[in-house]
Amino acid sequence: MTGALPGTAAGRGREPPAPVARLLGQLRALDRACSPGHHGRWSARRRAELVDRCLRELFDAAGPPPGVALAALGGYGRGELAPASDLDLLIVHRGRAEDLRSLAERLLYPLWDAGFSVGHALRTPDECLAFAAGRLDAATSMLDARFLAGDLLVFDEAHRLVRGWLREDPRGFAARLVEDAREREERAGATSRVLEPDLKEGRGGLRDLHALTWVARVAFDGDLGALVGFGLLRDREREALEDAWEFLTRARSAIHLETGRRSDRLLLELQPAVAGAMGFVDEPGLTGPDGLMRAVFEHARQVEHVGGAVLDRFLAGDQLVVGAEVEPTPAGVLRALADLAAGSAPPAPGFLDAVERADVPDPVPWDGEVRDAFLRLLRTGEGAAAALGALDRMGLLVRYLPEWAPVRCRPQRDPYHRSPVDVHLLDTLAGAARLLEDEDEDDPVVREARRLVPDRDGLLLGALFHDAGKVGLGGHVAAGVRQARSALDRMGLPPASRDLALFLVEHHLLLSDTATRRDLEDDDLVLDVAARVGDQGRLAALYLLTVADARATGPAAWTPWRRTLVRELVAKVQHVLERGEMGPELAERLAGRAAAIRGLLAGEDPRDVERFLERVPRGYLAAVAPERAAAHFRLLRGPLGATEVRTLVEPGARPGTHALTVVAPDRPGLLSWIAGALALAGLSILTAQVFTTEDGVAVDLFEVEGAFEPEIDEARWRSFRRSLRRAIEGRLDLADLVEQRRRHYPRPKAEIPVRVSVDNGASDFFTVVEVGAADRLGLLFDVTRTLAELGLDVHLAKVATYGARVVDAFYVRDVLGRKLEDPDAIAALERALAERLA
Amino acid sequence: MKLVVAVIKPHKLDEVKEALRDVGVQGLTTSDVEGFGRQRGHTEVYRGAEYQVDFVPKVKVEVLVDDADAQGVVDAITKAARTGKIGDGKIWVLPVEQVVRIRTGERGPDAL
Repeated sequence: MTGALPGTAAGRGREPPAPVARLLGQLRALDRACSPGHHGRWSARRRAELVDRCLRELFDAAGPPPGVALAALGGYGRGELAPASDLDLLIVHRGRAEDLRSLAERLLYPLWDAGFSVGHALRTPDECLAFAAGRLDAATSMLDARFLAGDLLVFDEAHRLVRGWLREDPRGFAARLVEDAREREERAGATSRVLEPDLKEGRGGLRDLHALTWVARVAFDGDLGALVGFGLLRDREREALEDAWEFLTRARSAIHLETGRRSDRLLLELQPAVAGAMGFVDEPGLTGPDGLMRAVFEHARQVEHVGGAVLDRFLAGDQLVVGAEVEPTPAGVLRALADLAAGSAPPAPGFLDAVERADVPDPVPWDGEVRDAFLRLLRTGEGAAAALGALDRMGLLVRYLPEWAPVRCRPQRDPYHRSPVDVHLLDTLAGAARLLEDEDEDDPVVREARRLVPDRDGLLLGALFHDAGKVGLGGHVAAGVRQARSALDRMGLPPASRDLALFLVEHHLLLSDTATRRDLEDDDLVLDVAARVGDQGRLAALYLLTVADARATGPAAWTPWRRTLVRELVAKVQHVLERGEMGPELAERLAGRAAAIRGLLAGEDPRDVERFLERVPRGYLAAVAPERAAAHFRLLRGPLGATEVRTLVEPGARPGTHALTVVAPDRPGLLSWIAGALALAGLSILTAQVFTTEDGVAVDLFEVEGAFEPEIDEARWRSFRRSLRRAIEGRLDLADLVEQRRRHYPRPKAEIPVRVSVDNGASDFFTVVEVGAADRLGLLFDVTRTLAELGLDVHLAKVATYGARVVDAFYVRDVLGRKLEDPDAIAALERALAERLA
Repeated sequence: MKLVVAVIKPHKLDEVKEALRDVGVQGLTTSDVEGFGRQRGHTEVYRGAEYQVDFVPKVKVEVLVDDADAQGVVDAITKAARTGKIGDGKIWVLPVEQVVRIRTGERGPDAL
C-alpha cells in the first residue's frame, strides 16, 4: 500500500482522539514552517518527535498490560520521517499475540482513521531474532529500532538479541549489505545516473547511507563518526556523505509534499516543481530541472562511491593496499593513478588522502611530464575511466581539464542515453579501450578495424571528448570540437593523436546518422562519406568509436538493426578507399573542382549552383573540366520535357575533334540511341562518358570526329539531333538503318578478337562489363543496345579508342538496381555480346 | 477500420511520414525490424573478414485508418517509399475489430 500524507485521506466520520488531532495540527504547521524544498533532516527528526509524543499518549491511554513495549522501526526508528513515510511500529511482548489485538487496535485505529500509513508487528524477543535471522530487511529494521513506551526491559532484550546475533559476524553482515545494494541497483537503478532516480532505494540513494550506519553500529557500536575513528571513512568523505544525506532528504520530502504520496522516485514530471521548491532556477546552458538533476547525481555519486569504498575497506580488512607512494605533483598524481589502474586492488583510504594532499593547482599547467603521465593513465583503458572518475569525485579532474566542468553530472534527456554526459564519456573511453584489446570481441569488423587504427591515443582521446560539446547550448558537435581542441592543444600532444581525436569528435555521428537515414545503395553517398573520412585508418577508428559510443549509451542504442546498417556503410566506404576511388587527394581535387565551378558561376544564384553540385555524381566532378561543367549548369537549367534532348558542341581536345554533350531524361536504351544516331550522322565516337544526375537526367559526353571529313557542318548536327529525337519517340528503327549503312563499308581487316569480361569485384554498386573489339561503324551502338536488350542500365561508360582497337567499360545494374550476379545471366550477356560483335 | 502495415527501407521513413501527414493521417507507430523477403541475406566483407547478413534492417510503419481511407494511405506509402530497386518493401492491410482510445474510452472510428 502506498502511503499518503496524514490528514489528507477521507476521514471515516469519526473525530480523532485529542493526541491525534493535535499531531495533525502540529504536522501541518511543520510542513508550512519552511518551503517544500527545505524539509531536511532536522524536519524529519522533528516530525518523528511529534509522532513519538502522540504514540506515547495513545499507548498509555490504551492501558497496556505489563511486559509490553512499543518501539519504532526502520526510518521512524532512526528518527527520520519524511512527510508521507510509513510509521513502522513494533509491539514487543512475552505472551501471546492474540491477547494484544485489542491494544493494537486501540493504538492503530485512530492513526489509520486520520490517514496515517501504519505498519505494525507483534513479536516476542525470540520472534524478533528469528525474523531478523531470516530476512536482511527485518534485521536492519531492528538495528534502527527505538524504544517509545512501555516496558524498556522487554524491548532491550529483543534489541540485544538481534544486535548480538549480527555482531557474531560483522563481515558476513556487510557482505549481505553489498549483495543487497547490487540487487537494489538492478531493481531501482542508480540514483547517480538515471533520469528518474529512486532517491531511497537506488544505488547512491538514502539506503546506501543507512547501510553505512548499520555497519558502524554492528561493527563498532557507533555512527559514521566511528567509521572515521576506525580509519574506514575519511573526514572529507564523511562531510560529503552528510551533505548528500541532507540534500537527498530534502528532495525526497519535496516529492512527498508535491505528490501527497510516499513516492521516492523523482519522475520527469515532478522535476520542475521540485527544482523550483529547492531553489534551482534556469541558468544559461542549464535549466532549473537540469540543475536539480546535476545536484542529485553529484550527491548520489559521492554516496555510491564512498559507500562502496567503505564496505570494500571493511571487507578487505588487513589486505588493503596501504598508502602507495604518491609524488605530490600533478604528474605524480596521474602516475600513481596509472599504477593503481594497472593493478586490481582497491586503493587504501591513505592513498586518496595522499592524492588530495598533493599540490594540484587550478588549473594544472600542462607540461611534457603531465602529458606523458596522462597518456600512460589513459592507456590503461577501463582502469583509466575508473581513475578519472575518482579524480572527479575529489574535485580534481576539472583542474586538469577545465572543459570537464560543464559536462559533469549533466543529465541527458533523450530516450537513448542512460547516463549523464561525463559518465557516458568515461564509459565510452572504457569501451573503446576494450574494443582495442578484447580477445573475445565477437564483431569481426571490430577485430579487423582495431589493426588499422593509426593512433590508439587519438582514439582514446576522441572517445573521452566526443560529447564534450554537450554543454546545454545546442549543436553539440561543433561545440565539442571547440572544447576538445582547447583541451588537446593544452596537452601538447603529437599532431597524429591530436588530429585523429579532433576528427573523431567532429564526425562521431557520421556513420550512425548516415547509415540509418540515408540510402546506402547510393554510390555518391558512399563516396561523400569516404571523402569526409579520408583514409582507412580513420574509418577504422571511427567505427570503433561508433560502437563504443553506442554500447555506452544504452541497450537501445546498439541493436543488431543499427549494427547491420552501420557495418554495411563501413564495408562500402572501406572498399571505395581500398580501390582508391576516393581518398585524401581525390577528395581535395573534388573540393577544388567544386570551388572552381562556384567561381565560374559567381553570377548565378548560389543556391542553384549548390543544387547543381549536389545533382551531379562525384565521378562527373572528377572527370569533367570546371569550364565545361559551368556550361552544363546552363544546359541543365529549367525543367526537361519527356522527349526533350539538349545538346552542346564545343571544340574537342585535338584539332578536328568535337566535344558533344547530350542531355536528356535517362531511360533504358538512351545511350544506344545516341550512339546509333551519331553513327547514322557519320560521326565517329572516340571517347564517351555517361553520367546520370540524382534526379534521373542523363548527361552524356562524347568526343567525336567526322568519319569522313574533319569539318562537321550544322546540317550533320541537325541530322543527328533529328534521328535521336525520333528514336526516343520510337519513330525510327536505328538498328535497321545502321545495318543498312554498314553494308556499304568493308569489315575491318585487322584480326582483333572480341573480348568480354564481367567483373563484380570492382564496385559495391555496379557490375563492370569490359568489351574489347575492333573499331567499326556503330560499335558502341551495338554494345549498348545489347546491354539495353538484356535490361541492363548503363550508369557509367568509359569508351576509349586505341588505333583500330576499342576498349569499352560499362558500369551496369539491372532494372531492380542489382548487380548482375547470376552466373547464367552473366553467361548470357557474354554470349549475346560475342554474337552481336562477331 | 483497417490496420495498414508497411515494411520499408529505413531511409524512406521521413518521406513516408511526410506523405502520410499530407493525406491526413494523425498518428502512426514505427519500429525497427529485421527480416528478409526475395532480397534475402548476403555476405559482406571488410578487409577480408567475411560475415553473413541474414536479416535486412527495415522500418515497420503501422497506421490505423477508417475503411474509406485505407486505399489512400496505401497509395501514399507506395509512392513515398518507392525507389524502384529491390528491397523497397511491402504493404499489407488487415481488418481491425475494435479500437479504444485509452484516455477517453472512445471506441471504433471515434478512437482513430
